[in-house]
Amino acid sequence: MSGGSNVPVTEQAGNPRVGEHGALSCGRTLSFSGETRADFEHLLTRYPTKQAALLPTLWLAQREWGWISREAVDYVATLLELSPAFVWGVVTFYTMYNRAPVGKHLIQVCTSISCHLNGAEEVYAECRKRLGNLKPGETTADGKFTVIEVECLAQCDQAPAVMVNDDDHYVITKDKLTSFLGSLK
Amino acid sequence: MAKVTVDGKVVEVPNDANALEACRAAGVDVPHFCYHPRLSIVGQCRMCMVEVEGVPKIQASCTVPVRDGMVIKASTEKALAARNATMEFLLINHPLDCPICDQAGECKLQDNAVGAGLPVSRTSEPRRQFPGYDRTPIGPHVIADMTRCIQCTRCIRFCEEITGTGELTFVERGGHTFVWTHEGRALDNDLSACAADVCPVGALTTKEFRFRKRVWWLDKTRSVCDGCEIGCNMSIEHRDRIVYRTLPRVQPAVNDFWMCDYGRFRAEDLNRQDFLKPEIRVAGSDARKQTNWGEALDVVKIAIDRARNEEKNIASKGRVLVLGSARLTTEENWLLKTLFEDSLKVGTPEFVVDKGPKRRIKNKVDGWIYGTEAAPNSRGCEAAGLKRNRPGDGSALDLLLSKKSFSSSSPAVLYIADAAFTERANDLEFVLLLRQASVLIVHARVKNALTDAADIVLPSAPLSGKEGTFVNAKGRVQRVDTAIMSPPVVRTDLEILLHLGGRWDLLDTRWTARDVFENMQASVAGYEGLAWDSDAVVGNPPSISPAAAYDVLGLERDPDVEVFSRPSVAAPDRRS
Amino acid sequence: MSGLAPIEPVLLSRRGKPDSASIETYLEDGGYASWKKVLGGAKSGEWTPAKVTDLVKASGLRGRGGAGFPCGMKWTFVPPKEKRGDKPVYLLCNADESEPGTFKDRLLMEMDPHQVLEGMMLASFALDVKHAYLYIRGEMVHVAELLNKAVADAYAKGFLGKDVLGSGRNLDITIHRGAGAYICGEETALIESLEGKRGHPRIKPPFPAVSGVWECPTVVNNVETLCCVKHILDRGPEWFKSIGRNEKNTGPKLYCISGHVEKPGVYEAPLGVSWNTLLAMAGGVKGGRKLKAVIPGGPSAAMLTAKEVENLPMDFDGVAAAKSMLGSAAIIVMDETTDIPKAVTSIAKFFAHESCGQCTPCREGTPWMHKMLKRIVNGEGKKTDLDLLLQIAGQMGNGMTICVFADAAIAPVLSGITKFREEFEAYVAKSNHPDFALAAPEDLTNKVADRTAAGIHS
Repeated sequence: MSGGSNVPVTEQAGNPRVGEHGALSCGRTLSFSGETRADFEHLLTRYPTKQAALLPTLWLAQREWGWISREAVDYVATLLELSPAFVWGVVTFYTMYNRAPVGKHLIQVCTSISCHLNGAEEVYAECRKRLGNLKPGETTADGKFTVIEVECLAQCDQAPAVMVNDDDHYVITKDKLTSFLGSLK
Repeated sequence: MAKVTVDGKVVEVPNDANALEACRAAGVDVPHFCYHPRLSIVGQCRMCMVEVEGVPKIQASCTVPVRDGMVIKASTEKALAARNATMEFLLINHPLDCPICDQAGECKLQDNAVGAGLPVSRTSEPRRQFPGYDRTPIGPHVIADMTRCIQCTRCIRFCEEITGTGELTFVERGGHTFVWTHEGRALDNDLSACAADVCPVGALTTKEFRFRKRVWWLDKTRSVCDGCEIGCNMSIEHRDRIVYRTLPRVQPAVNDFWMCDYGRFRAEDLNRQDFLKPEIRVAGSDARKQTNWGEALDVVKIAIDRARNEEKNIASKGRVLVLGSARLTTEENWLLKTLFEDSLKVGTPEFVVDKGPKRRIKNKVDGWIYGTEAAPNSRGCEAAGLKRNRPGDGSALDLLLSKKSFSSSSPAVLYIADAAFTERANDLEFVLLLRQASVLIVHARVKNALTDAADIVLPSAPLSGKEGTFVNAKGRVQRVDTAIMSPPVVRTDLEILLHLGGRWDLLDTRWTARDVFENMQASVAGYEGLAWDSDAVVGNPPSISPAAAYDVLGLERDPDVEVFSRPSVAAPDRRS
Repeated sequence: MSGLAPIEPVLLSRRGKPDSASIETYLEDGGYASWKKVLGGAKSGEWTPAKVTDLVKASGLRGRGGAGFPCGMKWTFVPPKEKRGDKPVYLLCNADESEPGTFKDRLLMEMDPHQVLEGMMLASFALDVKHAYLYIRGEMVHVAELLNKAVADAYAKGFLGKDVLGSGRNLDITIHRGAGAYICGEETALIESLEGKRGHPRIKPPFPAVSGVWECPTVVNNVETLCCVKHILDRGPEWFKSIGRNEKNTGPKLYCISGHVEKPGVYEAPLGVSWNTLLAMAGGVKGGRKLKAVIPGGPSAAMLTAKEVENLPMDFDGVAAAKSMLGSAAIIVMDETTDIPKAVTSIAKFFAHESCGQCTPCREGTPWMHKMLKRIVNGEGKKTDLDLLLQIAGQMGNGMTICVFADAAIAPVLSGITKFREEFEAYVAKSNHPDFALAAPEDLTNKVADRTAAGIHS
């Protein structure tokens, strides 16, 4: 399975994986739960146009369903009176909207220059190797881990920096991988 | 207006023009991809690079608003080098598939590669592929191949800004950016094939034209769409008597750069080869026999004369009922009027128009304009003096159709100049009403229920085989030219009527459509003072004054370089 | 060692305090004093928007986001009320900190979010803004949560909302989270993104100050810039000007030092502090190794050799004089063990990944450069590759694209290959590329290249 929008950087240059799939279907029609709906209504009060609420609304959708499916795009487009194609274009422009389900722990390894200088590429490769020779963006069979490569996380003083889901992890060197991975249940 | 100097030449352009338009107004060709005169400016392709005096950096001319006194240098070494660079970048990932690409020959990438590109390729990297996004239908008419896409976004802007339907979007970003629809939603709107028109390369092509003909073999003939009364200017593109496609012909006053899918793809009908032959009913039989034009027209004359004489005898009007058609040219309808009403005195020809589905097209002047009739020329019929039939108006046709006249007053002769004047001509009950006439004479392009019931069938030519003028909804007189000579057994409606009139020595059989046009001008409203060859009638965009040039020059299939031909086949001998 | 002496921290003065992000501790430390002062004097006319703008102008504050444009002057580009009519003015705080090596804004927001908010409030006053947005990059999830809490607290205390502190003025602040796109740090791309679109930089003109977000006059300021505004209002422009190397480079500055140093981190120093002082602050090169190269302003800046950076005053003009730029002051230190071609390849990968894809030269050029560099470091380089790389880079920037992303993308390639060519050549020399002998005929390639290069740079 692909890692959705977080298509690994190394996979892209020279060997693009884009075009693998369009918006995947989740197989059911979607609508926000009451709480999310309330958050969405609040969002609308913060912007002069409905369109401006698109990015935050997509965040709500990702919070609710874990990833942005074809049906989520259609639903958000209807909510904000946009064309589904436009919404899809926005989803695919930004890297943080998952376009396929990801593992329980989405491990995002920064490989930008400061982390690169501190051995981030090795960490990334080793991390995938330890989790069962995962391909970039692949999820483990038990659905627990997805490993992807990301650009600078603005923690360059803590290189190599890793983000797991929304949480920052500092100085994850190759030696620390065992305890780091062990800490992810 | 702003005075702008381009490569030493001073031109005046409107204040809202940009530097690219100023260059084109000055006759300086600046290559471009993403600029389109009817779409918003995005400045993305970086092909139209020029230098502007006082600005240190090179500029994409389409993004530079003109100001009075601006000096543009469009042909400097720096500008040319910048275009070299852009061409090189565009070509490193473009497939070398021109030999199998339908756009080849009218491809901006080819043109600009030759005109502004480097003579060598310096890349040795593998070319970008879009697996799964090549050669894929993305709508009922359009096929997309993203390996060829140069990311100019014209198609996206077309769907957002012209049709407002927004089916297309950029997907992904950076070097992987491509154009697609949202999963499960097709590029399906009433103007969808125009997205392929605006595509400067072969990334979007139409299913109907794909792999049918290399474009450089195509002869182009000016014509007007006969799908509705909007009268979109179009170009019939044909070769060896086959119409391969029709394209919108730029006409700022009507259809601008656009044409609806219905109008564009109905042209396939022009290629129907099931032409009819002149036939007359065998006396006292149910069968018709094939005959020659001479005999057929003689029989028509006899039938009409008999009816006229009867009319004198029983002093009853309506013994000859003539039906014109909004699908025929004004010239043809006027001939009906002048022959039957003015000369033979058998009453005013009538016509009916079907309501059609609502069609629409957009231009810059009027915004959306709508067509509701299923024929192009009801205005022309009225101008020529025909009477528009409306149910309940008590006219001869109305009486006939309302079954009130199943009596001696039913016409002795019903002369129908277009067997397909209404959709109901295939409806047997309707045909039975018409069949109340003693003699039923029709001009017909193809067989239908009405031709089956007719006593005399006079085969007529399709739109691609005739010339004349239509009057569109806005009252514009627009000319169509002959693209393809029909087979000798078929005549245009104009020829049929001239030869029929010749039987009484009432009409000059040597006349052409132009002669008819010039003879009827004085008496037909809207035609006064128009010249057959004038730009207005032909549909050439307004003559190019520097000031106006920017508006009409940014054409993708430039009308000033487009060669519109007369028929390429020698006219067959049509003497009967 | 030469250069300016270290200063008492200003922007980072509350670093290390317990619970420094809470509004209570911020108020204890005298926070929101300027906001109260300005609003309190607004009715009497003691404080006017023009006065605030003049103070900022007088301070010489230059934008801390990267370009170093004078902040006060940027504010004056907003058309006056009679010209802009009913259109509201918007202030956008650019917290889309994505330049690799930059982590100062993150620190400011994490450690002292109210400092940022107060800066936004004061700028909003100066610009007559009713609604300001803070665009934070998507990756900083917890920072965004923290900011949202800070905003809620500020509303609760009456520093935001309707009729703020009884001044009759309204001010709203909304935290808007991005979703992962470096280009959204470019101000017009940020505007597009805030409008809910793909982050494509816009063509200028019109400039944002005239027509920005929702076609209204818009000012985009960096987090650190706005924090400086607060301190200028606290202590006055003269104090601000007293810090810094010269009239044109004033105030305290946050330097982000990462890479091969003993103590990577954010350091506050006068703008224009010498390189050597900074390096000493960060504990020197890691392991006592020799310095090889320094990227002074994030990968968008040309890299400098150890010799070039020696004693360099680290401010906008000082670094520019060395033909690089201070940018966001993301200083990446590379020691003697650094494999420069690999570092350049890593940077090229970053730019290929982050190009927005609208302009041809950047969309096609950045991946092309990355492909070639990757091939070279993978041992498949060709003889002609290095010159070709320089030529490609030469035809991407300098106005060839809408925004300056392409200029940023070529800087590391141009500087890396020019300054460390022998390292690249060593890779090529070991190449086992099958086409090695089939390199394009030199005369033809060069001819084309000369024409291209000469043309663009003439």
